[in-house]
Amino acid sequence: MNVPLSHVLAVAALLFAIGGICATARRSIIMILVGVEFMLTAACIAFVGGALAWGNLDGQAAAIIVMGVAAAEAAVGLALLVHGRRGGGTAEADDYNRLGGRP
Amino acid sequence: MTTTIALMLLFPLAGAVFQAAFGSRLGRRASGLAAAAAVAGALAAALAAVSGLGVAPRHVGFGQWFAFDGLSVAFSVLYDRVAGLMAVMVTFVALLIHLYSTVYMRHDKAYARYFCYLNLFVFFMLVIALADDLVFLFMGWEGVGFCSFALIGFWHEKLANVDAGRKAFLMTRVGDLGYVAALALLVAAFGHASASELAARAGTLSPGMATAVALLFVFAAFGKSAQLPLSSWLPDAMAGPTPVSALIHAATMVTAGVYLLMRLEPLLAVAPAAGATASLVGAATALYGAVCALGQRDVKRILAYSTISQVGYMFLAAGCGDVSGAFFHLQAHAFFKSLLFMCAGIMIQACREEHDIFRMGRDLRRRMPGLFVLFACGAAALAALPPTSGYFSKGRTLADALAHPGPAFQIAFVLGVVAAFVTALYVFRMVFVAFFAEPDQPARPDHDPAIARMQRPLWPLAFLALVYGFANTPGFMHIKPFLDAYLAGTATPIPPEVEAAELFVASLDAFLALAGLGLAWALYRPARRPAAAADGWLTAGLGLDALYRRSLAGPYCRLAAFLWRGVDEDVLNGGVSAAAAGVSGLSAALRRLGSGRVSASLTALFGAAAAMLLWLALRLA
Amino acid sequence: MTALGALFYLLSAVLLLAAALAATRRNPVHAVCCAVATFLAAAGIFAVLGAPLPGALEVVVYAGAIMVLFLFIIMLLGLKTAPGPVPQARLIVPGVMAAATLVALFALIGADPTVRTPLPAAVASPAAVGTVLFDTYWLAVEAVSVLLFAALAAALLLGRAPRPADPRTPAGLAAGKEGQSA
Repeated sequence: MNVPLSHVLAVAALLFAIGGICATARRSIIMILVGVEFMLTAACIAFVGGALAWGNLDGQAAAIIVMGVAAAEAAVGLALLVHGRRGGGTAEADDYNRLGGRP
Repeated sequence: MTTTIALMLLFPLAGAVFQAAFGSRLGRRASGLAAAAAVAGALAAALAAVSGLGVAPRHVGFGQWFAFDGLSVAFSVLYDRVAGLMAVMVTFVALLIHLYSTVYMRHDKAYARYFCYLNLFVFFMLVIALADDLVFLFMGWEGVGFCSFALIGFWHEKLANVDAGRKAFLMTRVGDLGYVAALALLVAAFGHASASELAARAGTLSPGMATAVALLFVFAAFGKSAQLPLSSWLPDAMAGPTPVSALIHAATMVTAGVYLLMRLEPLLAVAPAAGATASLVGAATALYGAVCALGQRDVKRILAYSTISQVGYMFLAAGCGDVSGAFFHLQAHAFFKSLLFMCAGIMIQACREEHDIFRMGRDLRRRMPGLFVLFACGAAALAALPPTSGYFSKGRTLADALAHPGPAFQIAFVLGVVAAFVTALYVFRMVFVAFFAEPDQPARPDHDPAIARMQRPLWPLAFLALVYGFANTPGFMHIKPFLDAYLAGTATPIPPEVEAAELFVASLDAFLALAGLGLAWALYRPARRPAAAADGWLTAGLGLDALYRRSLAGPYCRLAAFLWRGVDEDVLNGGVSAAAAGVSGLSAALRRLGSGRVSASLTALFGAAAAMLLWLALRLA
Repeated sequence: MTALGALFYLLSAVLLLAAALAATRRNPVHAVCCAVATFLAAAGIFAVLGAPLPGALEVVVYAGAIMVLFLFIIMLLGLKTAPGPVPQARLIVPGVMAAATLVALFALIGADPTVRTPLPAAVASPAAVGTVLFDTYWLAVEAVSVLLFAALAAALLLGRAPRPADPRTPAGLAAGKEGQSA
């Protein structure tokens, strides 16, 4: 196939940007986590593209490891959300601000 | 001689310090007698010093005050016959006024403060009378200004009195600018400024410089002596106690300006323009004061405008260079004016603090005939009825003006003559209305026997007001003029033209005084039931005060308000507050970063990543 | 343009479109469904790029487990549709930073001439990937498994309903007192 590596990396960059916007502009914790997942997927695409470009399987191994980490992170994040909601909180990230100083 | 002069100065100063320290602990009588004793000591010292004085002046020094490059100032005294007589007059009148004050202020609680300031004033006035070094004289000059401020505003619970004191201080301060400027010029020329120095070296100054210095001193004298254009403080200064008005604003402080010009007569001799200015403005002021006095109802204000007018005559003589003539009128005026002021004080207390002459009347004369006699003596001298002291002294000043060459002096003579007529008119208006009329609403009388006791110190003054003229009679009467002879060696002798003019002036003056008496009788005799005119233009001093308020005080207040609100509050305070608010706002904005919100942390992470990538890209590109 | 290349571009378009849709949905369920589509497209891209094992794992783990977990939590908590669109002010800073990131990344990509060469068409067998994983990167694999175990324990603990008389929670304390007085 005649797709240069630069196109693969560009696609990964665009997906990373979209995930960044989703993570920082949305209030809901679900959406933040979705944005983070997008960013991790973009990294995986970049790894796989690099593996194909240089004939090295390390990139694919790295993509698998990243997926594992993403799973663990999503689980813990959602467990925290459930715990917070059960204590009477909301699903908005802005409401969990008791670590900040008094204004 | 040095000790006597030192004692003369130290007695009143020690009296003031004593009053300040212990006066309130002594009783009222003891405090007053202690103050009077201090002045009596000064009088004794003055008499002793002047008795041992020859024609030649004595230079007495009390040491150096300060000196640095280009300027040296010493406590030096020029004790000549003029100074000696001035010191005697000041202490004599001050002693009588102190004795009068012990009864006048009998109900006042702050007597210690009063006598302290009164003694202090005598000290400063003696400094002015004796000083040779002009900076030392300026110390006395400022000192009497301060004591005047403190005494005018003596009853400081009423704000109007304090305002009057402040107005007096500020207006004389404007005159003092002229004094300081003249001092600066003299120090630049000679290295130090003293009257004897000027007498010796006035000729070495260039004519322009001499005229400038002389005009500046004349301006300072105008301020201190309440002449035009700085005259409007004196009528308001009547807010002080009456003995203060008698001492400060009749006999001593307002004459300090004329006295300065007398001491600096060698300078005026080389600067004829300044002398002409002094005479012309003095005569104009004489007319202004007399005309305004005609429109007043308050007895003290009549006497205040009268003082302005009479001091104008002294300026007339001093501007002609006649030291002994000016001094003659100064002494005569001191006697009859302080007599009139103290009588006015008795009148006011006898009518229960009533100042309006249209509410006193025949009753007052019948209750207190002695008071009427005293007042009549003073009034006759003021109106220059022959042969009182005022007749001879005022005649002398007018003769000086007539005999002096120059158009300015001729105009001054005419103004002075008209003023003499108006003087007689307002004086007898005051006498007839206050002592002969039957008012519709008379003031309630006060029969306190202490009031009658206040007349006792006044008899010597009445006597002097009547007969002192014979101390210096004009040439045509062929009696030896004692004052001229005594001061002959000290001051420039009188030119013979003056003697020729004196006969003409004497007859004119007598005619004018009698004409004024006649017209006043016609207008104000009791049968015509004189009623006061409404307060108008004349009462307000021909609008001089209003002019100053509109043109000087008004814009200054607006400028001050602008600088306060516009610059100090809005710009300076506002700038500081805005800086504080800016820092506060900036910190509030920064505080939101550390708020603990998850979104903020995520945004910060993303931002850091973006920054690092950008940096990397820039490095490679 | 070979067939694989065209497939790659098609899948990239689907990927980016689905990601953009997911980022802008107000209803969380819709967003998660779009995210599933994104990950399926990503799996396809992995396959096109010669990585069948990561592609399969992407479908199984990411789209199959993680996104299903998201849906499960959404329904468990009953999360509602967001009331209104994201206010404009909140988009400024993320937008600026995303633009900066893109500019930087494109500049970096464009600066390197070696990435312009076309990719070869190759496929890596899953066995080969597995050998690399357990041979060279065995430590990372063990670490990820420990991490997964820790996540499991944390999720268990955090998700557990509080026991009635547990004095470490305020509700438990109150419940314990009530139990004693009853």
